Formats: sequence, structure tokens, C-alpha cells
Amino acid sequence: MNFRRITRRLLMLLGASALLLGIPAAATAFASSTTSGTGWIRLAHLSPNTPAVDVYLYSFDNSNAMIVLHHVAYGTVSPYESVQAGDYSVAMRAAGASATSQPVLSTSVTIAAGHAYTVAGMGPESGLRLQVLDDDLTTPPGQTLVRVIQASLKQQEVKVTLGSTVLSGSLKFASVSAYQGVTPGAQTVTVSAVSAGAGDTSSSVTCAAGTVHTLVVLDGASGLEVVNLEDASGSGKPPLGGVSTGFGGTAPHGPGSPVPWLVAIGAGCMLALTGGLRLRRNRQLTARI
Amino acid sequence: MPTRRPAAALALAAGLIVIAGGVAGLLLTRHPTPAMRPVAAGVAVAALPAPTGPIVAPPQSAAPKPVAAPVSLTIPLIGVQTNLMTLGLASDGEMQVPALSMASVAGWYTGSPRPGAIGSAIIVGHIDTTNGPAVFFRLHELTAGDKIYVKRADGTLAEFRVTSVQTYLKDHFPTEDVYGPVPDPELRLITCDGTFDYATRHYLSNIVVYATEVG
Repeated sequence: MNFRRITRRLLMLLGASALLLGIPAAATAFASSTTSGTGWIRLAHLSPNTPAVDVYLYSFDNSNAMIVLHHVAYGTVSPYESVQAGDYSVAMRAAGASATSQPVLSTSVTIAAGHAYTVAGMGPESGLRLQVLDDDLTTPPGQTLVRVIQASLKQQEVKVTLGSTVLSGSLKFASVSAYQGVTPGAQTVTVSAVSAGAGDTSSSVTCAAGTVHTLVVLDGASGLEVVNLEDASGSGKPPLGGVSTGFGGTAPHGPGSPVPWLVAIGAGCMLALTGGLRLRRNRQLTARI
Repeated sequence: MPTRRPAAALALAAGLIVIAGGVAGLLLTRHPTPAMRPVAAGVAVAALPAPTGPIVAPPQSAAPKPVAAPVSLTIPLIGVQTNLMTLGLASDGEMQVPALSMASVAGWYTGSPRPGAIGSAIIVGHIDTTNGPAVFFRLHELTAGDKIYVKRADGTLAEFRVTSVQTYLKDHFPTEDVYGPVPDPELRLITCDGTFDYATRHYLSNIVVYATEVG
């Protein structure tokens, strides 16, 4: 009976201490998730024969749109929007359609903290779909990261080169190439039709080190057009280690050397001792007289 | 010899005073002197008004307009108003920092994007000189939501909002988080923090203020 009570008390104590330890741990976890809990999303219309649309971004289970982009025409890519990590949905409606009308297309997207996504309307109007692209935000040291989105219906299959690098030997309409690290600098991007008969399209693009680019191949008024998007940018040559930004003038000082004080105490003792002895001898002399 | 008596008494008294002084000095210097830095942010004094000028909204088109170079930095909440010098890399590959004589001035790392352009722009400043505070002495007082302004060579103003403030040991500096690519206009302010190592004459930690452009 007694033993059981003790056991129960011990268990309660153990439970309470676990709770106490657990609360700060949970609090720290919460704090870190709120400080770094944002990702990025951008919206694009890359379907050549689809008229302009209104694009809506909804936070999961909230019917009020967070972002509405009106009259988004073919070839438009929005800037990235920073949003809290979580589940979202993207809906497309015909330009000018009521916000409460049934969307033409919709898709869900999960945004992870520190990651970026492009949600693009892709394909021909008859087979329009919303595609979620996972965008890379890291570059190989000293390089530029480049990929291609093929959004030309006029040339269904293209070869894309940047300088001497082949970004894709054969990229089909409504598809996306893998990322590739390239040497930074001003270079010529050339898009050529895989099927013979069509001329090449060339333009110059400048890519700095430490940047991520998406080249979008579009149907132009005549022939093809290449849009160079700078998706992300950082320091091409990141400095090594931390930064030495202080000279220590306001830093706490450690305890100084005790030696001078000890010497002073020693000298004081000698002085006092000498004085004291003299006084005593004087008194003795006075007494004898 | 009664004339010696006052001299002896004087010596005794002086000796005792010196001992008392020595003991007091010894006891008082046994404790390290605290840092000049206030540990917690007190009542924030809005010493400076927010700067004025055309604030450039983030571009809506696919091809962003080029952004002019930064020329000055204002952080009203902590009384920072400084011109910006340009900083590169030192020969050892570390970040160049302003000289001691320029410790009241912050600098923009020219290897990073310009403030307001897409990417993580880097501005660094000293926390202190050899005997007092420097430009980023009060950087640690910033918290999420505080405003930072950068004026550029063309007179335009970029407005940033602090998203987080982090302290890292220099031995574990998160290079990718600080200098890596980001897809929106951001700013990082860096200075020193933590323990000062008197042997190497360097602080052991860095404080990094993360901010994003208000658009």
C-alpha cells in the first residue's frame, strides 16, 4: 500500500517535470517555425492560344482570395510573393468573370518554408492545365543556374543553347527543362526548331554568378521570343565565414591583474609595521625615562 | 626622542590606508566589467524621422528595371543614419569591413544585389570601436516589423521590414541562408555580437537582421 503510493508520487513527479521540460522545447520549436516559415509563389500564363485570365490565390480553407491578378495575358509571369508556408490553391477564371463563379481551372499547392514555386497555366487552350513547378534557389559555387520553359505552340519542339551549353536538345511544347549550371556572363541564347525549315531565334542574355534564371520560349508576333527571368539572386562570391565587425571597445572586460594591488597591500603592511614598531619603541623609551 | 613619534604614527596611518586601498582595489577588480551594451531593448526612442522620397514599388512586369546603387541607410528606431561605403572581399576571402576610422559608417557588399533589386542585399557595420559604440551598436534592438530605409543614387527610397533577427557563432555562420539566392528583394544587416575574444581581438558571434522590401 505504502509502496504503491510512493510509486504513484514518483510517477506524478516524473510527469510534471517532463511537462515542464516539454513546454520550453515546444515553445522554441514554435518560435523557429514562425521566424523562418515563409516560402514564395508566383503565377504565370504560358498558354499561347488561351485568352487573358484572372488568377486567384487562396490560402487553404479560406474562400477570400489572398491575391488576385487581373487580366493576365499569355507570356506574363508575376513577381514572387512571400507567403506563410502551408497549403494553398490557385484558380483561373476568364478575365472579368465574377470572383464567385466556377473557375476554369484550379489546383492545390503546398508551399514549404524557404522554397519557391511557379504555378503556370500551360498547354493549348483545349488541354489547358495548371502546372506547379518547384523552383530551385541554390546555385553551384560561382555559377548561374538556368532552366527553360517551352511555351511556344508555333514550334512544338525546340533546341535551346546558351553560349556553348546545350540547355535542352529537344524540348517539347508545355514542358520544362532540368536546371543546369552555366558559366556566368553575357551570352547568346539560341532557340532553334528541331523540325527543319524554321530559322533560329537568338538573343543576348546576361547572367550573373549566384543567380537563378528561367528562360521562357514564347510565340512572338513573328517567330519566337525568349524572355529571360531572373528568379533569384544572391552573392555570387559569398564571403568566407563570419564578418569581423567590432573592435571590442564595448565588450565586457575580464578581471584585471591582481599583482599591483597585492604589491600595494604588501607595501602598506611594511609601512604600517615600521610605523607601529617605531611607536612601540618610542613608548618603551618614554616609559624608561 | 619625542620628535619621531608623529612620523611613526603617520607611517602607521599611511600604511593602513594603503592596505585598505589595495584590498578595495583588489576586490573591485575581481569582477569583469559588464558590456556597455544594454542587455534588453528599453523604451525605443524614435530619434529619427522616416526619410522621404519616392518609394519604388516592386516591378510588375517580367523584366525588372535596374536599381540604382545604395548611398545611405536610415533605421529610425535605433538612431542609425549613415552614408554607405562600398565593400568587397578581403584578400583572405572574408568580407571587407570599414576601417576603424570609418566605424561610424556602414557599407554595402558590392558582390551582393543592390537593395531593392531581387535578391539578398548585404550591408555590414561595426558594433563598436576600440573604446566606444559604432554604427550598428544598437542593431540587436531591432525586432520583426521594424522599418529600415535605403536611399539610392537616383534619389529613390527602398523601404524594408524586419522579418527576423538571428545570432550565430562565427564558426557556424550560415553562409547559404545569409548570402544565398532569394526570389524577392531582401536585405541583411550584419554586425558582431556575443563574447569578445581578447586573444584574437574578435567577437565570436555575428548578429544578422533579415528584412524584406515592403511593396
